[in-house]
Amino acid sequence: MAEKKQGVKKQRMKKQDIAKPTVILKEEAYSVIGKPIPRVDAKAKVTGEAKYAADIEVADMLWGAITRSPHPHARIIHIDTSKAESLPGVKAVITGKDFGGFRWGWSRETRDEEPLATTKVRYLYEGVAAVAAIDEDIAQEACDLIEVEYEPLPGVFDPFEAMKEGAPLVHEDRKGNICVEYHWNFGNVEKAFAESYLVREDTFQTPRMAKGYIEPPAVLAYWPDSTHLTVIPAKGSPYFPYRILSNCFNLPLSNVRIIQPFIGSDFGGTKNDMVSCDFSAPMLSKKSGKPVKIVYTQFDELTTCLRRHPMWVTMKTGVTKDGRLKAIQTKVISDGGAYTRMSPLSNFLTGICMGLPYKLPNFKTDVFCYFTNNPSSAAMRGHGIYHTRFAGDVQMDMIAEELGIDPVEMRLRNAIENPKPGKIYETINKLHLATCGVEECIEKAAQAIQWEEKKKAERVKGSKAYGIGFACGTYLSGTKLSGHNACAAMVRICEDGSVNYVTGATDVGQGSDTVMCAMVAEVLGIGLEDIDIKRVDTAHTPVDPGTYGSRVTVLAGEAAINAAKDAKRMLLEAAAKEFGVKPEEMNIKNKKAFVKANPEMSIPWARLVRMACYTTPGMVIIGRGQSSRGISTYGLADFTTGIGDIGTNYSFTAQAQEVEVDLETGVVKCTDNSVIAHDCGFPLNPPAVDTQVVGGAYHPGVGAALYCEFEMDKGLTLNPNLVDYKLPRAYEAPMTKVIHVITNDPFGPFGAKEASEGSTCTAAPAVINAIHHATGVWIKDLPAKPEKVFWALKEKREKGKK
Amino acid sequence: MKDFEYFAPKTVEEALSLLSQYKGEAKIVAGGQSMLVLMRQGLIAPEYVVDIKGISALDYMTYDERLGLKIGALTTHRAIEKSPIIQKHFGVLSEMETNLATIQTRNWGTIGGNLCHGDPAGDPVPVLMTLDAKLKLKSLSGERMVAMEGFSKDILEVDLEPDEMLIEIQVPVPRSHTGVAHEKLMVMQGDAGIVGAAASITLKSGNGICEDARIVLSNAASIPLRAKEAERCLIGKAINEDLLTEAGEVASKEADPPSDVHASAEYRREMVKVFVKRAAKRALEMARLR
Amino acid sequence: MKGEPKELRLTVNGKVYELKVKPKALLNDVLRKDLKLTGAKRGCLESTCGVCTVILDGKAVRSCSVLALQANGHEVTTIEGLAQGDKLHPVQRAFIDHGAIECGFCIPGRVMMAKALLDENPNPSREEVKLAMQGVLCADSGYVKQIEAVEIAAEKMRGGE
Repeated sequence: MAEKKQGVKKQRMKKQDIAKPTVILKEEAYSVIGKPIPRVDAKAKVTGEAKYAADIEVADMLWGAITRSPHPHARIIHIDTSKAESLPGVKAVITGKDFGGFRWGWSRETRDEEPLATTKVRYLYEGVAAVAAIDEDIAQEACDLIEVEYEPLPGVFDPFEAMKEGAPLVHEDRKGNICVEYHWNFGNVEKAFAESYLVREDTFQTPRMAKGYIEPPAVLAYWPDSTHLTVIPAKGSPYFPYRILSNCFNLPLSNVRIIQPFIGSDFGGTKNDMVSCDFSAPMLSKKSGKPVKIVYTQFDELTTCLRRHPMWVTMKTGVTKDGRLKAIQTKVISDGGAYTRMSPLSNFLTGICMGLPYKLPNFKTDVFCYFTNNPSSAAMRGHGIYHTRFAGDVQMDMIAEELGIDPVEMRLRNAIENPKPGKIYETINKLHLATCGVEECIEKAAQAIQWEEKKKAERVKGSKAYGIGFACGTYLSGTKLSGHNACAAMVRICEDGSVNYVTGATDVGQGSDTVMCAMVAEVLGIGLEDIDIKRVDTAHTPVDPGTYGSRVTVLAGEAAINAAKDAKRMLLEAAAKEFGVKPEEMNIKNKKAFVKANPEMSIPWARLVRMACYTTPGMVIIGRGQSSRGISTYGLADFTTGIGDIGTNYSFTAQAQEVEVDLETGVVKCTDNSVIAHDCGFPLNPPAVDTQVVGGAYHPGVGAALYCEFEMDKGLTLNPNLVDYKLPRAYEAPMTKVIHVITNDPFGPFGAKEASEGSTCTAAPAVINAIHHATGVWIKDLPAKPEKVFWALKEKREKGKK
Repeated sequence: MKDFEYFAPKTVEEALSLLSQYKGEAKIVAGGQSMLVLMRQGLIAPEYVVDIKGISALDYMTYDERLGLKIGALTTHRAIEKSPIIQKHFGVLSEMETNLATIQTRNWGTIGGNLCHGDPAGDPVPVLMTLDAKLKLKSLSGERMVAMEGFSKDILEVDLEPDEMLIEIQVPVPRSHTGVAHEKLMVMQGDAGIVGAAASITLKSGNGICEDARIVLSNAASIPLRAKEAERCLIGKAINEDLLTEAGEVASKEADPPSDVHASAEYRREMVKVFVKRAAKRALEMARLR
Repeated sequence: MKGEPKELRLTVNGKVYELKVKPKALLNDVLRKDLKLTGAKRGCLESTCGVCTVILDGKAVRSCSVLALQANGHEVTTIEGLAQGDKLHPVQRAFIDHGAIECGFCIPGRVMMAKALLDENPNPSREEVKLAMQGVLCADSGYVKQIEAVEIAAEKMRGGE
């Protein structure tokens, strides 16, 4: 047997290499992945050909609109739709009653929401009726003609009001307005605090945020016949409406057809779940007998759709004299809004990864999520983890300052070391890591920002002050939850050698379509250009849970690889017969199948396929693959105890960000001195990883740190537009550099881990730490708007004078 | 948006006839960058819309060394921003336009539309006030000239009769040794200023004493506010750092700023101090160079 | 009469269209609903996001903030009019090659904004590119690659490497 040498192609592959569950080849051996891969959908998007939900039109289509409650909390006494129904051009009017008592929710136990409210409205502008008409204007006019009699009720508008004794109840059967609570306890925090050299407690606040996608929700629905429903929605997880509409309309799953258009981003919540239009369009279509389209405005989005939970995090941390974490105890209070939605998951996530990225021997948390009469809170990129990571990494700097330890050094002392190959690191709550590149991330980020020189530099220049802040983050990858989490893929080889990759997974802009196709091409040994993706159409594609929990690359990727391997196996079996060898003695590379021991014995791809398909009796080559990692391997995370893996693997990030603070006004700007080092295992498509990492840090991260917050007044959103709600823009964007840290995780496809959410957790603490470095003030409640910084600076100056 | 009857006059006379005919019920739309937002939100629902965007006779800029600048009401913000004449002789106008909203808004929105909109947070009015601009208004009955100062009456209310149209903005040649600057507090580039200040400083030839000062604040009251007390701090004196600080503080007391989602009245008052000083300081530096 | 449709004659991507539209119709509506050119997206409809941006008489404008009738007799260019058959405009090419496209929703508006910038100013500074990009919101990319792609396209169009 020939010796394996670095960089030399293997002469013979050992049997056990073929049987390995995850393909890991030597890096030089990759043909498609691991280099810049142009996105498969780029051309369609850049020419305007790509159709998003609102772009799609069908014959005879009606437009729908929704009548909304003017009260944040009220009983519905009576609805009179007669005037709307008699308006010329109106073809159907529905109310909540049309849904026959249907409710839906995140889990069976939490089905507390109706498509349109029937007896009570619980947030301002909650939908109570809907109209379909021949054009948008008539539909809207008809909505205004629907007369609803309400009995306004007193409401609660933040968790502190909601938790008061005797407070009005948002849901009558939910005492104390508690939506969900968790109480976890690992080790012995009391003892650890008693033994700590330093203990400090701080309260941090994260803002109420919009998801921030620019494409508002939109949906088109029609009934090809009375028992089949087709829906084309702007949904990043099309199998959610698939299941929920099947329940709602009492149809077998096989009769619900969701066709996925191009999606203008998702970020969790709303496009990952249902809102009124998603139920109203199918119901209006059923009633009118015509297709119905509903397109929300940004006003609808910003006032009624799902938001990121505002959270109040009280964190108590004990450390040794040299700054090593001994214990963390958190109390988290969050505002879940009017309905349960995904709050159980959002709040669970605040604690589950507390043992990452730093070594933590003791941890206790009490989490309380309250119902309020505000629009519901749900998932958002960086889901759950970002709140407590923000608190943790800012408090770490506070402690470092008290102890006189350099913030980079502090992090290096606490960082979890990368486990040696074959070893697993286990956190106190039984999360398992095969790889953890955070140490290398910190070192590389500090080096790239030139921390050693810059920390000695003069920070104040005229009326401006400059500072650099560090933060580390982690994010779960390939999320594993209970319920149906399997996913599958098919690779169909057409007789002319062209290949279909058929998937239930959705690319919402993160680039998964491209990376899946690339992995299929890599496994099959052909080019990316030979693969044509067949996107989600639930009539034809296999089920997939959807785009959330950073699962698509890792889990749908696994399914794609397995499907490609299955198809490859069939082809190699046919080829092996021709050459009189065993299939495992052959391989396919550069569009050629060849005998490994004697590469001259080869057959080009197209001929191989034709031969396999036509040689009597011929074959239909469909490779099938599933992901099993999503539902098995380790113990699933237990929501009650906080024990168990929530991810298949975990990404790690370190960010260094410089800010400029205008000492006269409090305006904070990110400068171009901005570095993110990210361990995503192996970057399958490096430029895509770059944009995802940079974008994840900037939009939800810096957005939370400096700009974004819904201002509320008793349930009324005071800034429901994208200028008053300051979504981050281009002029203020730092030209961030990304450094890839490669750890080759054995549980990810080709060693990959997630690359979209880790940096959402680092930006906010890095910016806040940078503001402190520049000015000495701590801003603990986000966003650090100019006024807040201004008063903090003034207070500090005045304290200094005394 | 509610339906309306629509006219697209090609001449000023046509437009004025329509305004006279539909007095009170007709609204002018120029670039529509302010109007359309109000109409889409249902805040105004005119029966008649007179679209004057097509009156090319009102799209011009002329400059004369004696008579100064004449800007047709339908000149776009972008044209003002990019005009070499304006950049050379009235640089503050170009600078102000660069920071106004986004390029798309400036490409279609007009200076006339902006002035007639009456937004106390707007930038052009304070700058034109410091430049001592005058407006030519016209109706079928005739013409009248009004000072830029005094044109704004209240939030979204200006001194324009229902049958009148803004025709032209006239900006006199500044006196020698005059510098004009504009500063506003933005969180993001293109924001409406949390507060803003336009300042004009004229120095006496020879001894550098301040002969005249104009300071106008935006978003510090219900209309663009001329901070006359602050001006009096500077006039007749040799301006130094302390005096600039004092002017800022005095202006801050004159202001009566709003509280909204972007800032409290208290913070705005503090920022008036900062921005009056910044604008006046830059104006002073420019005055010294002229 | 209120709402009475008026004649609208406009050139879009070199083709002349004659139709009747209600006075309150926005240019965005007419392009998307009447002319079936869905490249210009429907975003906020209130002048904040910029995904509806098209070029009107050589200038970038928000099509949601222009009454369709104001384009009467004028020339509009949308994203569909940029490529010449299979040959993409250098801005389109740069966005693809530099990996600057993610969900793509802001891309038509952004590309039109970039084209308008480069037609007017073939050698923009980074500051000028950023100012142009300021008018079109993105939710995901962090803007870095988009800014760089415009600079790459500018260099190509000037005849550089």
